[in-house]
Amino acid sequence: MINRLLTVVFILLLASCANNTPAEQEEKEITLYTHRHYDTDQAIFSKFEEETGIKVNVVKANADELIQKMESEGDQSPADLLITVDAGRLVRAKSKGLLQSAESEVLEQTIPAHLRDTDNQWFGLTKRARVIVYDKNDVDPEELSTYEALADPKWKGKILIRASGNIYNQSLLASIIANDGEDAAKEWAGAVTQNMARSPKGNDRDQVKAILAGEGDLAIINTYYLGRLITSEDSLESAAGNAVSVFFPNQDDRGTHVNISGIGVAKYAPHKEDAIKFIEYLVSEEVQKTFAEANFEYPVNPSASSAELLESWGAFKEDNLPLTKLGELNKEAVITFDEVAWDNGPDAN
Amino acid sequence: MAIGLFIAIPVLAIIVYLFYGTGEMWQHITTYFLWDYLKNSLLLLVGTGILTFLFGTSAAWIVCTYEFRFRRIIEWLLFLPLAIPSYIAAYAYVGLLGNGGSLMALLQSVGIPIQKIEMMNIWGLIWVLSCSLFPYVYSCARAVFKSFPTNIRETSYLLGASNRKYFFSVVLPMATPAIIGGLFLVFMEVLNDYGAAKYYGINTFTTGIFRTWTALEDLQSAVYLSALLVLMVFLINGLLILWRGKRSFTLRLSQSSASQAKRKPLPLGKQGLYLGIVAIPLVFGLILPITQLIYWAYLTFESMFTLQLFWIAAQSFGVALIAAACVVVAAIAITYFSSWNHLKGIHLFKKVAVIGYVIPGAIIGIGIIRSSQTIIDFFADALYLKIGFLFYGSSVILIYAYVFRFLAVAFNPLEANSLKLGKYLSESSYLLGIGKLKTLLTVELPLLRNTLLSAFLLVFIDILKELPLTLILKPYNLQTLAVKAYEYADDERVSEAALPALVLIGVISLLMIVLNFGDKQLLPTKASDEKHVSH
Repeated sequence: MINRLLTVVFILLLASCANNTPAEQEEKEITLYTHRHYDTDQAIFSKFEEETGIKVNVVKANADELIQKMESEGDQSPADLLITVDAGRLVRAKSKGLLQSAESEVLEQTIPAHLRDTDNQWFGLTKRARVIVYDKNDVDPEELSTYEALADPKWKGKILIRASGNIYNQSLLASIIANDGEDAAKEWAGAVTQNMARSPKGNDRDQVKAILAGEGDLAIINTYYLGRLITSEDSLESAAGNAVSVFFPNQDDRGTHVNISGIGVAKYAPHKEDAIKFIEYLVSEEVQKTFAEANFEYPVNPSASSAELLESWGAFKEDNLPLTKLGELNKEAVITFDEVAWDNGPDAN
Repeated sequence: MAIGLFIAIPVLAIIVYLFYGTGEMWQHITTYFLWDYLKNSLLLLVGTGILTFLFGTSAAWIVCTYEFRFRRIIEWLLFLPLAIPSYIAAYAYVGLLGNGGSLMALLQSVGIPIQKIEMMNIWGLIWVLSCSLFPYVYSCARAVFKSFPTNIRETSYLLGASNRKYFFSVVLPMATPAIIGGLFLVFMEVLNDYGAAKYYGINTFTTGIFRTWTALEDLQSAVYLSALLVLMVFLINGLLILWRGKRSFTLRLSQSSASQAKRKPLPLGKQGLYLGIVAIPLVFGLILPITQLIYWAYLTFESMFTLQLFWIAAQSFGVALIAAACVVVAAIAITYFSSWNHLKGIHLFKKVAVIGYVIPGAIIGIGIIRSSQTIIDFFADALYLKIGFLFYGSSVILIYAYVFRFLAVAFNPLEANSLKLGKYLSESSYLLGIGKLKTLLTVELPLLRNTLLSAFLLVFIDILKELPLTLILKPYNLQTLAVKAYEYADDERVSEAALPALVLIGVISLLMIVLNFGDKQLLPTKASDEKHVSH
């Protein structure tokens, strides 16, 4: 038995060695570190390979880990590009000196200024709006107005939102700090905590399911999760998705909070030119449309059409706060969450 | 010694960090969350400790003592809950028992008006973790119960002990070292859990480490928190050793041909009770979550079932097999080198080497990348050799990381059982002029075969499920099932994660079948136990 095992191990060892010989040195390739885990992305990469002959190597992990990895690898890092699912991490990568400027007219013309870095170190690929969804039966949308208004005691026991460890909550609070100031933001976070229907748990989808179950009336979630719920194969999920409507807050002032999934060229990118070509490809109308349709994200390219479902929710005014701000204020947002004990939920009465 | 040093590299890298002092957020951490997190972690440890002990020990005793229908199948099905990553089980439980969950819907359809059972709190987390981790205790207890010589039982009965008395005053105390070994593994897993705790909104030490590192951007304090965690582990370890006390028995393996006790039929009248005891962990740890996974996999089958899935499964299998073999060899080496050479430092190394199991994987990953960078730089500067590809283009570094991470899983039961084995056999062998290595290979290891196999299996399963290290250190052409499942779950597409998770469970069952059933010789029979002793 042991012999048999050893033989198998030996063969596998040989096989793994054979696998790893760097034979394709001459081939054109780029290496991508990405936090996006979508199958549709893979299809887009394959298409890029087909069209340009440039092979795309993909390393998927959390952005924090990828940033650590790039930092540790230093100038020997094989990474050409870093993709994250929020602006904060790109700002962090930039401040750690892990990215470099990418000069490209195409990118400057396609992507609106507030969705990219001032030094062109990173660019938005898709937008996600953090919106309020409400129970169609129990809530009159006339009662909704802004994120700030959620602090009103009339919502006591009604608000569903996930824990503060979530980056999208952190970004939202960062945007409120940027707009209303530190003290007001802290007061807001404290009041919303007291208005929660339960202590924060689960993911964005679970908040919507809790509305269907009658645990609360409002949830703060990202738009694409709702898109996926509505189109889910699971009847419970689609029922939850259809039980709520979307409300875009702050339409009369600064606009709804948006974050991006974005990309930057690595400081020590071995294949800078091809990397830029790749970014240009990702913001082309066709690819942008795929992002929107497959994953219910809003395209950053204004001329790309959006998914039908997204269009059915209507156009909205977005907060044009430079996303760099979100990164800069992220830590402050986390500290604020801790100070108001967000994760403990409303005080027991 | 060299092995110990080699294995301790990441720990040394982390120790270096400690000299830089706490980070700027330390004050904030101690003010706002440290005590809360500590309290939650302790509660989790106590809760899962009690439950896994009850589940694991009782089930192991029943399958080892009694004969009943489907006993053989149940015996190995009881290992399988380990194959389900706990965060996947956590999702599955919410899918079953949450609002409109599938089990709730089923109950409602038969007229039981139940809306939901709230799982997303600390009690739910204790339940889920216990249900998926009890096999650690089960497998350790089972390995001991299986090798229990009959003469002890016969003696107890001759002396008039009842069944119950025999279990509580003879069997349990003798099995304690092994069970403690299993509990230790459970505790480490609980402390290291990230996904399930995060999903249920429970802040634990480990979620705190990640929060400090990623959200508060203070790696320095995160490493300090890890160090505290390691301290806590030493404390637990110390307590367990105290509990174990002097209970390191030397079991004299029976010389008679009846060394392996025959199973008795279930006592009449208590069949229901005994089967119920075995069924509880089986139903809640395996059948319920798997049913939910199958339902999800069914919903997403069309888009998820691809040929690529098989290729991914094969890759996971290969890497885990190699790495698990390396872990077992390293564990043997450390156990025996330390007992051969009474070097002063070696005991320290033993301790250092096994703490890899408790440091959060992501932190180990960083430690390893940092230290391997130093090595790469050294080769580049001093020897003009570019060896970076070895680190980033192959699985070498990943396998090394696994060895570091999972050494404790193999080492703890191995050490416990080699203590139990005692020295008299090896000493007789030395007296006969047989060398140490030969004695190890021909006497000690064959006797420890059950332990080695179950250690191998546990490590193998752990590696297949492992996430943070795999994510950070894997070469980009390597895909594993756990990573695949994680990518979907992380993206809130749990139903898509179900199929890769099921394949993972399938791969693990396959290996268990090969190891346990394909080879009759591996089933502990009296003949094979006897053979080596009579050399």
